[in-house]
Amino acid sequence: MLTRRVRGSWRGSALTQRLIRSGFAGSASVTIIVLALIMLFLLREGAGFLGTYRRELETYRRCGLEFCDLVDRPLAQQEDLAGSLRRALSSSLEPLIGQARARRDEALRLKREVDQLTQTQREVFEQAQALPAAQAAAALPEATKALSAALKAASAAVVIAPILSAKQATDLRLQLSTQIPGKEQPLALINQLQQEFLRVDKEAKARFEGLQEAIETLEEAPEDLRETLSELKELALAAKEQATLHHTLEEGRQKLLNAAQNARDPKEKAALLKEAEASHSEPPDESALQAQIAELREPLVLHIGAYSAKVDQLALHLPEAEIQLPEAMELLQKTAQALPRHAAAMRASVPELRQWKADAPVHLRSVLGAFFFGTQWLTNSSWQDFFGFLPLLSGSLIIALIAIAMATPLSVAAAIYCNQFASPREREWIKPVIEFIQAIPSVVLGFIGISLLGDLLKDLSQLPMLSWIPGFPIAERLNMFNAGCLLALMAIPTMFSLAEDALNNVPQAYIDASEALGATQLQTIFRVIVPAALSGMGAAVLLGLGRVIGETMVVLLVAGNRIAIPDFSDSVGVVFQPAHTLTGIIAQELGEVSRGSAHWQALFMVGIVLFAISLAVNAMARAMVRRFELPKS
Amino acid sequence: MPDSRSTDPDADFISVRDFSYAYGSTQVLHGINLSIHRRRITALIGPSGCGKSTLLRAINRINDLVEGAAPVSGSIHIDGVNIYDPAVDVIALRRNVGMVFQKYNPFPRSIYENTVYGLRLAGITDRAQLDEAAEQSLRLAALWDEVKDRLDEMATSLSGGQQQRLCIARAVALRPRVLLMDEPCAALDPIATARIEDLIAQLRDRFSFVIVTHNMEQAKRLSDRTAFLYRGKLIEEGDTLDIFGNPAQPLTEQYVTGRLV
Repeated sequence: MLTRRVRGSWRGSALTQRLIRSGFAGSASVTIIVLALIMLFLLREGAGFLGTYRRELETYRRCGLEFCDLVDRPLAQQEDLAGSLRRALSSSLEPLIGQARARRDEALRLKREVDQLTQTQREVFEQAQALPAAQAAAALPEATKALSAALKAASAAVVIAPILSAKQATDLRLQLSTQIPGKEQPLALINQLQQEFLRVDKEAKARFEGLQEAIETLEEAPEDLRETLSELKELALAAKEQATLHHTLEEGRQKLLNAAQNARDPKEKAALLKEAEASHSEPPDESALQAQIAELREPLVLHIGAYSAKVDQLALHLPEAEIQLPEAMELLQKTAQALPRHAAAMRASVPELRQWKADAPVHLRSVLGAFFFGTQWLTNSSWQDFFGFLPLLSGSLIIALIAIAMATPLSVAAAIYCNQFASPREREWIKPVIEFIQAIPSVVLGFIGISLLGDLLKDLSQLPMLSWIPGFPIAERLNMFNAGCLLALMAIPTMFSLAEDALNNVPQAYIDASEALGATQLQTIFRVIVPAALSGMGAAVLLGLGRVIGETMVVLLVAGNRIAIPDFSDSVGVVFQPAHTLTGIIAQELGEVSRGSAHWQALFMVGIVLFAISLAVNAMARAMVRRFELPKS
Repeated sequence: MPDSRSTDPDADFISVRDFSYAYGSTQVLHGINLSIHRRRITALIGPSGCGKSTLLRAINRINDLVEGAAPVSGSIHIDGVNIYDPAVDVIALRRNVGMVFQKYNPFPRSIYENTVYGLRLAGITDRAQLDEAAEQSLRLAALWDEVKDRLDEMATSLSGGQQQRLCIARAVALRPRVLLMDEPCAALDPIATARIEDLIAQLRDRFSFVIVTHNMEQAKRLSDRTAFLYRGKLIEEGDTLDIFGNPAQPLTEQYVTGRLV
């Protein structure tokens, strides 16, 4: 049809026609070529990652850092455990000593306040004192009088919290009003309160002596182990530094040699070669290090054994009887359960330590595993960088699921309403308004998330009547749920339009047939139209998912950017934790890394995976539509 | 005419009186008067755009949802009930007046589900009752033997003729009193057409058929009575033999002999 019309109306030569044709074809091919170039570029930058990361992991192993981590990783839990014991102690102490402390603090606060109020008079008084005796005699009585009046006024004016009894308040005012330097009356009440606090504190601590001891035991238990370990760590770090230096020099030398080979001028060539020779470095000899590791291995194993025995012992003798507060109880019980696990994890490291070999090769498989299943994304570390993909993937996926779970019912229901129930006039404004959401720049939505939705969520979560919701009250304003809400808003227009199209595509013949069989409008909608449009709506959801996973600005601003696998122990409440995402990490870090480094390449790998995910989601959506395509009416 | 109405209620089962119909401002039917007999096959013939489909679709009010479509004047009574009376339940009307469309349109579900769709709409959930109705309807539509072993297959896996017979089964499952057919064989090949025609002939004493057709041979073969419409007006109605053999109006004669376009 089209070609015939072009031919009919365009009476140019065959050449012109061919030019026009190739102009159109050119536009299509430019797009395809650009796409291919993007893929090529991504792959080129990312492909080096496996090699670089492998080299880094090899250094990590050869220099003994891995050996240290075998112990260090499980040992990290010890601080958490001690911390929760300390929290149990402080929350148990609080009700016993809180009052006494508050009383003392109130008295001290009042003294400071009176001091501040009388500052000027005090300074005048001090100046008068500093004067030569003759002048002082004249000025001093005046200043003393002024100061005394000011003190009286101030101590009468300060507001005393009801935590101090009326008598104490009166005493305190009296004592504070007589604080003229040089002739101070002792502040008896403050001293008394302080003494009382110390007594109460001592008594309370005595009641929880067992717990106190347990904390001290746990804190001191790994001292020997840590000492040996830090010795090892220092050695390892020094070795790593040497290895890195050697690698950098070697790389520079290779570059110089290459330049020399390409140089035309023999003089320049000689200079380059000389320079290369100068930067020659011997690969560091690690045999000494390895000997030291071997030497320290058995002492380390002994320390581990001793430490885990102590931990096990402690787990059996946690002084539960003293604790009464429910939250302290819970903390203590959790710790009691965690301690044997911790000891077991420590013991499990022993065989690993024994099997560990510095020169074991790092397989490509394990490099891939370290990337795709790595649980740590750790960069600019003084110890070792890790590029583990899981924290980012989990953040992206959870946020996308939240967004889709919210956007799907909304957009599908809106599409059904708009397509089936709305009057033509309603339809005329509903559709453009929903589609307008797309026009909101994502950075503006990010704003709304930070300034409005975040505060709103936090305030809501503190309402006592909503405390049954898991995860409430929330700790972070910026979290995955917040980001998910905004992304849902962004996905709605796409999903709404596509779902509406799907409903529109249901052949009129089905609707006629259903109505001719005596169906009501609702029956027709839910038994014929919606089922027939289901595949189209599924595709709409998938394309919405693609949009949500690829979105960057909102998640960067609103998701909270904490790089860690969320803690699923809180079931659904996990959504109120902050997270980082695949897209966010690229946007945030790409500008700050040196080109070509492992970190740079890792970000490109993330880009490639992101690209693959989007591609897969799109392909799925297309397949879904094709698989369930309705007969053409 | 008034006489025959009073003496034989069957002859005036569906009674169209001075019926005019319009889509918005375009009037497409002008003062139609037509009696459709009980348990007879009535064919509506006429050139494209003459309003025969509109008349057919007015009988079960399927055009109600089309923007602006409404009768202008006159009435249609079925068995004495004015179907355009506001008190009439359209859903009940459509259960009593089944319809089969030009292009077979089974739902994209199983053969079984298609057959019992109308019954499910009516709220019947008893499996035994549905099974029995499905079998009976498929037998009535002469489809049972072909599909009894694959009731759970998609209806769209059937051939075109089978799909159209499935649509007939779906319509008769509700035991309507009237079956409206809008060119039921237009999308079918001659063999499938012959089977549908046989089927309609077998069912003639169970339902009152109104069939719109372009195919004059089909009208001649199938129908007991024929009505000829031209430009929204009823030109002539009568026994099929008379209309084709001895038409009273010159227009009718021109049309049935193929000289009127």
